[in-house]
Amino acid sequence: MSKIIPKELSAEVQEHVVDWLKRFPDDQKQSAVLGSLHAIQHEHGYLPVVQMDALAERLEMPAIAVYEVASFYSMFELEPVGKHTIAVCTNLSCILRGGEDVLNYIESKLNIKCGQSTADGKYYLKNEEECLAGCCGAPMMQVNHVYYENLTEAKVDEILDVLD
Amino acid sequence: MTDIVNDESQQDLVTLTIDGVEVKAPRNTMLIEVADQAGVSIPRFCYHKHLSVAANCRMCMVEVEKAPKPLPACATPVSEGMKVYTHSELALDAQKGTMEFLLINHPLDCPVCDQGGECELQDVAMGYGGDVSRFNERKRVVRDKNIGPLVSTDMTRCIHCTRCVRFGSEIAGVSELGATGRGEFMEIGTYVEKSLSSELSGNVIDLCPVGALNAKPSRMKARAWEMVEQSNISAHDSFGSNLIMHTLRNEVIRVVPEENAEVNETWISDRDRFSYEGMYSDNRLTQVMQKNDGEWQPSYWSDALHSIAQTLKQYDAEEIGFLVSPNQSNEEIYLTQKLARALEIKNIDHRVNQIDFEQQHADPAFPWLGQSIADVGKQDAILIIGSDLRSEQPMLAHKVRQANARGAKVFVVNPHYCKFHMPLSGHVVVKPQEWLAKIVGLLAELNNSSKHNVPSDLNMLLSTGKVDSDMAGIAKTLLNVEHSSVLIGNLMQLHYEYSSLRAISYWLSQLTESSFGYVSTASNSAGASLLGALPHRTVMSKTIDEPGMNYQQMIQSPRKVFVLLGLEPEWDCVLPTQTLKALQQAEVVIAINSFTTEGMREYCDWMLPIKCYAEAEGTKINMEGRWQSYFKVVDSDDEIKDGWKILRMLGAELELDGFDYVDIDDVRQEISQSLDNSFGFSNELPSLPKIEIKNWDEGIVFSTGAIPIYSIDSIVRNASSLKQAQDLDESVMMINSIDVEKHGLIEGKWVKVSQDEDSSIFKCVINNKIEPGTVYIPRGLPRSEKLGGVYAPVQLKNLSVA
Amino acid sequence: MIHFLKSFSLWELLKGLSVTRKKLVAKKITIQYPEDKTPQSPRFRGLHALRRYPSGEERCIGCKLCEAVCPALAITIDTDERDDGTRRTTRYDIDLFKCIFCGFCEEACPVDAIVETRNFEYHFENRGEQVMKKQDLLEIGAKYEEQIAQDRETDAMYR
Repeated sequence: MSKIIPKELSAEVQEHVVDWLKRFPDDQKQSAVLGSLHAIQHEHGYLPVVQMDALAERLEMPAIAVYEVASFYSMFELEPVGKHTIAVCTNLSCILRGGEDVLNYIESKLNIKCGQSTADGKYYLKNEEECLAGCCGAPMMQVNHVYYENLTEAKVDEILDVLD
Repeated sequence: MTDIVNDESQQDLVTLTIDGVEVKAPRNTMLIEVADQAGVSIPRFCYHKHLSVAANCRMCMVEVEKAPKPLPACATPVSEGMKVYTHSELALDAQKGTMEFLLINHPLDCPVCDQGGECELQDVAMGYGGDVSRFNERKRVVRDKNIGPLVSTDMTRCIHCTRCVRFGSEIAGVSELGATGRGEFMEIGTYVEKSLSSELSGNVIDLCPVGALNAKPSRMKARAWEMVEQSNISAHDSFGSNLIMHTLRNEVIRVVPEENAEVNETWISDRDRFSYEGMYSDNRLTQVMQKNDGEWQPSYWSDALHSIAQTLKQYDAEEIGFLVSPNQSNEEIYLTQKLARALEIKNIDHRVNQIDFEQQHADPAFPWLGQSIADVGKQDAILIIGSDLRSEQPMLAHKVRQANARGAKVFVVNPHYCKFHMPLSGHVVVKPQEWLAKIVGLLAELNNSSKHNVPSDLNMLLSTGKVDSDMAGIAKTLLNVEHSSVLIGNLMQLHYEYSSLRAISYWLSQLTESSFGYVSTASNSAGASLLGALPHRTVMSKTIDEPGMNYQQMIQSPRKVFVLLGLEPEWDCVLPTQTLKALQQAEVVIAINSFTTEGMREYCDWMLPIKCYAEAEGTKINMEGRWQSYFKVVDSDDEIKDGWKILRMLGAELELDGFDYVDIDDVRQEISQSLDNSFGFSNELPSLPKIEIKNWDEGIVFSTGAIPIYSIDSIVRNASSLKQAQDLDESVMMINSIDVEKHGLIEGKWVKVSQDEDSSIFKCVINNKIEPGTVYIPRGLPRSEKLGGVYAPVQLKNLSVA
Repeated sequence: MIHFLKSFSLWELLKGLSVTRKKLVAKKITIQYPEDKTPQSPRFRGLHALRRYPSGEERCIGCKLCEAVCPALAITIDTDERDDGTRRTTRYDIDLFKCIFCGFCEEACPVDAIVETRNFEYHFENRGEQVMKKQDLLEIGAKYEEQIAQDRETDAMYR
């Protein structure tokens, strides 16, 4: 994964930034940082430092402030990760209904641990996920921001195998 | 009853009781501030009186009557009738609870921690901590970050008070440290590995309540309790920050700020903090050295001074020149000029950073800031002409920033791009050769709109002036605000049209009713002027009928004998090559200095070791006219003598009258007797030079430059950690990409820069912040010593093949 | 009357001689030093030593607490950072002429580095030898380590 990351924001990201900036007063440009970071992550799959620096300059805020935001939220990835993001809930409701078993099954199936990506860069198993408010369908997981509920091992296979 | 009254809010006082004591305080002051002034101690970590309130350590919990829960004293404004209990059961419970949580992850490594013994956490833990931890699980460990050569980190010790983070954004103006991650994974750091670039970064060491951030140069050298602390003052800039030096067994271990609300508050610059390392450099001159047939030999003071006296007697007074560093103390400067004048030597000067002396008769007796340092923070608009303030005067820059944070508009007109740590209302970069025309244009604009008028001599000139759009805003703002000042700095003094630039700047201030101030770089420039280290004036600026030669004249028609006091001419003087040539031509050169340089060993005949700032005592006058004494903190080698003693002995050797001082107080007394207050604190310019705007050919490339922040004087130059922090490739010259193309240069390759017959080679680096038509060359460094004046036409020649 | 009788019958003398007689037959407490030696407590405070961990790493971390607590100012320490980033002493001198063998240094030490051994039989032949250097102290520590460790263990429950 030694792709060279450009030092400038792409035209597409720029567009997003402008769009976000429109929603805030001129003297509060840094409010656009969250939305813009999402745009960068969407493009690169994670948040490269050079891109965050470029965004900091664009929004006229200190680079460290962008890093602070990016590292605070768990939905931002700071390192390159696999293509499909899997997050298994292991909070109270899910763990009572076998959430941990689901997690263990996925770990052994993909041969990775929480927080790791598969060697082929296809799957990324997110670190311990907190409650996603899908308790009624526990155990549940989130794959690429889509909820899958009432999981069984067979169902997990079904979900993961169709991903390309 | 204790009354806490700030003059700003005398009207709105509330009465409250803290631990049963009735206290009056302005409404909306924070409780902790009131308690501090009333002498009630409340434990705290994140609160600091000069930083914003974060209320994130939760240590300052106190009980307030009628509040259901304990409240943080640092974030609770006082109100009428409030009843506060800082040591009630509820408050103590909360404080002890917080303490227990803080100690969960704090390592028990106090014996190896440099903060041990002066640690706020340690102190508070003694009062509020339990003796046994109930936490048996694993403590968290945080990787240490490398944040440069000045500040060491032990991040496991960090308690996340965020004082350092707030310092960066609020005081230093450069946000570099931040809190990344969250919860258990929150870490203080720079995220990407980088050195702190702020020139005030060392203050985070004092701010850190635990041992997470410490001084790297003094790391593990001493414990807090065994050091002796002594007051001192800064030796590097005319701000005159108050310092405390901590010594152990006759060695300076570290330097910390001494609080002085009127000068440096609780901060000092990194230069003041770490320059002490220079005293221990290998370049220290530790013996009297005499050159015999080109060979350096150690000598004795008595022999050396005797033969120096004999030598000085052999030459005519006109053949001798004295060059004095403006960093020397009042006593040394006074005695030097007294000695010179007793020998009827008129050639004496301290203005080694000036080449235009046309208007020296109009110089103020005491070129000062024009206002007190505290007043700078209260200005509504400040126009800075010719100063890279952050590097010349880090602490004054902080004051300007303070004004800016209050809403003051700050304008800068400089001959090259200088980084400022505040939003500037106008940052005008002019080519050195067009500088005069530019500010004449501004004056012309002002002359039309101001109710004051310029002297009629200027009218002719102003009729040709045209204001540029980038300058127009400056005129408008300066006219409209109440408190404004015009400050001129070192970059202007270096200029070949200094007299004219200064006169125009002065009239700018007059038309806008601004105060006019000099920002002199060296720590005692103002004192040196007042005490007569000048060719045309003696002590108290009494004019001499036939002035002697100034610095430039002494260099241009070289004297046969030079006496250098505290100077390293090749780096301290504005005309390095010419000065070196003059010194090489001279028959006798006597250097009285703390350090030696390669150049000195070549051109000198005698080198006399003089004490460095922390080894000697003396007085200096800072930019606001504050006389401050500095003291002997450590002993030097026996062979190294006090400046005043050397001059006294030399005076006695020359059989001059009035050199029989017993101690330095005698000298001081003589100085204070010769001073009266008749000079006044006035920066008025009584006369005008003949101002002429020269037109230079468009194609000519001008050099510009400045001395980097940690190369400004001999002590700083020899301080190893600061040298690392400067992280400067001195072989680099910066130039705009347009010029690179125009002159056929190649980025990263060598370029020959010639000024008349002088030349030096530099590596070409593109920087588009440099104005087209100029090239930025760092000065005061070995490579630039082969060049002449800072602002001059240069030829550029590519030396390498593509 | 009684007084008169007592003085006449040399009562005091007899009383004194009775002590002599008792001691004459009692068990002797005199020790034939140096052939015999008095018993020593595990807390005996004799010559100082610097200890090492079993790994060979010196224990002393240069916290200077012993220097601070020493009432006779007999200890002088210089510290610096070693290449591996740990805090170590570059000089550890104890002036045995100044030392009053109070044992405070031992008590102050957070890592049991400076200890006082049971050795009290030593002498100096030249001026200046009374200042024990770090290397000397470490060597003493190495020599008596077994005894030192044993003494600490015996005393552990009271410390």
